[in-house]
Amino acid sequence: MQSESQSSPFIDIHNLSKNYGSKTVLSDIDLQLNAGEIVGLIGPNGAGKSTLLKCIMGLIKFSGQVEIFGKDPFRHRTQLLENMSYVADVASLPEWMQVADLLSFMTQAHPKFSNSRALELLKGTPIGLQQPISTLSKGMKTRLHLAIIMAISTDLLVLDEPTLGLDVLVRREFQDRLISDYYSQQRSILITTHQIDEIESILTRVLFIREGRITMDFKKEELQTRYAKLLSKNNVVFSDPAMQPIYQRALPDQTEFIFENPNREELAKYGEVQAPSLEDLFVATNS
Amino acid sequence: MSKFIALLKREILEHKNIWRLPLVLLGIGLLVKMSLSIGNLAIDIDVPEQLQLDGAIDSALDGVIARALNSMNYLVTMVMFVVAVFYALACLYDERQDNSVLFWRSMPVSDSMTIASKLCVALLIVPLLVIVTQALLAILFFGAQSFDYLSTYYSGSLLLLGQMLLWSMLPTIAWCMFCSEVSAKSPFLLAFVTPVILILLDKLFFDGYISQTFVINRFWGVSNYTFAPLISGLIFSAVCLAGAVSKRSQRV
Repeated sequence: MQSESQSSPFIDIHNLSKNYGSKTVLSDIDLQLNAGEIVGLIGPNGAGKSTLLKCIMGLIKFSGQVEIFGKDPFRHRTQLLENMSYVADVASLPEWMQVADLLSFMTQAHPKFSNSRALELLKGTPIGLQQPISTLSKGMKTRLHLAIIMAISTDLLVLDEPTLGLDVLVRREFQDRLISDYYSQQRSILITTHQIDEIESILTRVLFIREGRITMDFKKEELQTRYAKLLSKNNVVFSDPAMQPIYQRALPDQTEFIFENPNREELAKYGEVQAPSLEDLFVATNS
Repeated sequence: MSKFIALLKREILEHKNIWRLPLVLLGIGLLVKMSLSIGNLAIDIDVPEQLQLDGAIDSALDGVIARALNSMNYLVTMVMFVVAVFYALACLYDERQDNSVLFWRSMPVSDSMTIASKLCVALLIVPLLVIVTQALLAILFFGAQSFDYLSTYYSGSLLLLGQMLLWSMLPTIAWCMFCSEVSAKSPFLLAFVTPVILILLDKLFFDGYISQTFVINRFWGVSNYTFAPLISGLIFSAVCLAGAVSKRSQRV
């Protein structure tokens, strides 16, 4: 049983398409997500990130095949939600409720929710159990939402823009918590965010999505092994067709080039060679 | 089962009027009781025949107090029905307004179970509170004699309450819940203006036959509870509730 659940992917998507009227939002998406992965889904606004997540969360109908733990998320939504947690919008906790009432609701409504775990996660925060949620700051609401979601022992967590509108300290705290309090080799996280530079450090795999298609799908290490960033003070022109940058831009006193599968020794002759950041690569492939 | 109880608790916590209004009514009852002993205010509401006690009991108990209590109990029923209607109008609209529908829908609870819990609040918990409030009022007015009063009162009123629930309240609540789920701005306007316009059109073109048969009789023709309007009401309610479930399941 254990080995079987490890071998079959948590998320298995083939030929997923989604149209709103005549507008195609997603086309021919193929995606497998396995245990132990933290996958960042990154794309410009309107690329289809949220639509893809909504298909996975079982919120909207789609065409093609989507299986979460072997089940169609739209048709077996309620059942599936016992094994998959998600946050569609961090500003969605019921404001009128007291924290303690929320915890007792969760205890009764979700078979995998652990009240003691939630209390543990809330310890050390200024969130009081008798406080109505409406009196919490935006950061604390997010913290609370994340705490109750992480107190559910499911193996798959899907987060759509979880840190939208939060300041940098809260965002960093959020990511640290995700790793220390939720993540393990048996679990997976799928996350979308605009804060590419911050999320980079915790991802194991990256998907770029653009105009409804997954344009790139790579492991985080490949940023170092497959790509290179060259910073050159000279005005270089690469004429060799075997060595063409996929992107370049002029900085005040140097020029930045991004290469795919380059000859690193050759590149080093022109200037400083680094691993590009996720943001560098995102910009390079999306402009 | 524990999920359903959690949902009911959520409704009671969110819509506090459901249990606050009975407390207010008990307070009014206390005032009336006090006025009967120290003042001379007797509330005089036109109580339907079915809800009045027969003369024999009237004279065995204190007739003035019994009549005052009849009026109070009638008031309790009407106020709580209004509470149920406003609850039904708010219960699905509010969760969309504050965006919490996204949170509720991220829990392993089906939309039909959620809608069922809301229906259960309006059609079971509210009537239960009516009965409990009436019992408490009787104890307040009659003390030890309240059992005599209640046994005669309930023998007529419970049947009527049940009939009102099935024939009139169920379709009303189901319609209001449907409006609460689909209305973009004002469920109240949708729920009440639409029928009024339809009834006017009906009066203009069909001499009011349709609305008289299907709507008006449901509320004012309470003396003749027949099979046909029950069935049409059940079908109408089922359609409204199914519509609400299907609409809620598309909330993203």
